[in-house]
Amino acid sequence: MSEVVSLKQSRSGTKLRIGFLRLTDSAPAIIAQEFGYFAEEGVDADLFEEPSWANIADKLAYGFLDAAVIVPPLAFAIELGLRGVSQKLVIPCNLSMGGNTVTLSRDLALRVRELANKGGLSTAHALAACLKDRDQPLPLGVVHAYSTHNLLLRYWLATAGLEAGREVRLSVVPPARAVEALQSGSISGFCAGAPWGEIAQRAGAGLNVATSDDIWRAAPEKAFAVRASWAEENPESLKGAVRALVRAAQFCDAPENASYTGSLLSRQKYLGVDSHAILSSLPGGAIAPDNQSCFWRGAATFPWRSHALWFLHQMTRWDLTGDIDAEALAARVYRSDLYRAAVAPLGLSVPLADCKSEGAHSTSWRLEAAPNPIVMGPDNFCDGAVFEASPAPASF
Amino acid sequence: MALTILLIDTDPERARALEEKLSQTGFARVVRAEGSDLTAAVEAAKPDLVIIDMALPDRDALEDIRAVSAASPVVMFAGTDDPAFAQEAIAAGVCSYNLSGVALQDVRPILASAVALFQRYRHVETELAAAKALLNERRLIERAKAILMKNRKMSEPDAYRWLQKKAMNESRKLADVVAEFVAETENGQRETKP
Repeated sequence: MSEVVSLKQSRSGTKLRIGFLRLTDSAPAIIAQEFGYFAEEGVDADLFEEPSWANIADKLAYGFLDAAVIVPPLAFAIELGLRGVSQKLVIPCNLSMGGNTVTLSRDLALRVRELANKGGLSTAHALAACLKDRDQPLPLGVVHAYSTHNLLLRYWLATAGLEAGREVRLSVVPPARAVEALQSGSISGFCAGAPWGEIAQRAGAGLNVATSDDIWRAAPEKAFAVRASWAEENPESLKGAVRALVRAAQFCDAPENASYTGSLLSRQKYLGVDSHAILSSLPGGAIAPDNQSCFWRGAATFPWRSHALWFLHQMTRWDLTGDIDAEALAARVYRSDLYRAAVAPLGLSVPLADCKSEGAHSTSWRLEAAPNPIVMGPDNFCDGAVFEASPAPASF
Repeated sequence: MALTILLIDTDPERARALEEKLSQTGFARVVRAEGSDLTAAVEAAKPDLVIIDMALPDRDALEDIRAVSAASPVVMFAGTDDPAFAQEAIAAGVCSYNLSGVALQDVRPILASAVALFQRYRHVETELAAAKALLNERRLIERAKAILMKNRKMSEPDAYRWLQKKAMNESRKLADVVAEFVAETENGQRETKP
């Protein structure tokens, strides 16, 4: 069977160059390209596999990429010029929820798990107990300073009274290097996106002790960021791109498609790793899932302003931003208006509000949406906190 | 005063060429490092400037170098005040981090040599890829012609014209049509074999 889907293409606008990293949750962009969803929606898209978040950021900043599958805190860092030249970005849709693991070296993970089981502790508290008599801080890796991983890991550690610079020492280890760093002993654990935790487990180097879900259920993970100038110049293509990604997200979330998506992602030009390691992080890809990404269910593609505000709040908490007007920044970057306009022709239900109470639901709940309500999963934090974002400002 | 430059490049030939070139200037001391633990390499070499191949994921680690050397500021591209130069560097596949806050005019000749060298290597790579593609295309055309001559008893010029016509009718590139034709024929043969 030929993999090339031939289509009548009525392409408008300029090329859309999208950067991505070798991660499970790059799936929607890869599926949208491989299945011709971008082309069907009139978008002339090109995908670029980038080796690092720094490349994604620099290429967006200097206009070598128009868009990227990105961790939202990095999008804010680029927008604010916190790590180089600044570039205005917009996020018209979210791409995934969950999918990260806290992976510790095998020996340490076994001790943590044993202590957690025996004492009925959370793994974070068990880790704290393991570190009590240690005189050196435990070296842990995160994938980038401005990553969801850095924020989630710090949040999780803090619930057990652990802090970076005190009980643990955080350093930046790119996801594709995390497993070898764990094997060489230069770090004792890491927080990274799938499939790298699973790859560490398969290599016998480490074990997962927590996942995104254990820290914040339904935690937003990757988003689709576009240079604001590109978005302004190509409004129709932008809407088409969002539609293509939303359609791809639905495909990726369907359990029956897991093995197909897994083998597509495993190709050399995409992730270039064992398809089985990827499969376990895809919805429906494992019988007893340890860690899975979510692409569509529970309004996963909607760019919640309350998510943006949570990220900015945490970035400020850990002193990663200067003085910022979080409300204005969140409203400028997270563009639910663009999402609504883009998906309207698909007839899908869209949330009515731009913010929700983050962490207020420990069971399934019903979200007000039009035309029909959306069934949402739990979204509670590991410490039971509830994050309330204030209502949206009236204008951008 | 000699500047200490940490050079991180997986292409040994290019790294050697750049090291030689920079050492000749007399004011640069080059330290080369392999990937993996860049933080340790920076701690050991205490460089003023890091020049790194953009194809390496280790750049992420460099962005957080503040954690190891809080005293020295990290400036990307040795001065973000010159966007055109930074753009040229990115296009060439090289990136630099100024760790000790040396002024742009001091490191500019060094960076310019790095950019030029990366550009030259990129150029060679592109030419090589183009030559390989052309060779592959010719090989496939020969193969397709052979299939047509054998299966459909066409003459060589007829076979070539047939392929050209097919490409024209489908308004696709000859190379694509030929590749597909060869693949389909060969798959078909494999499947029909007992």
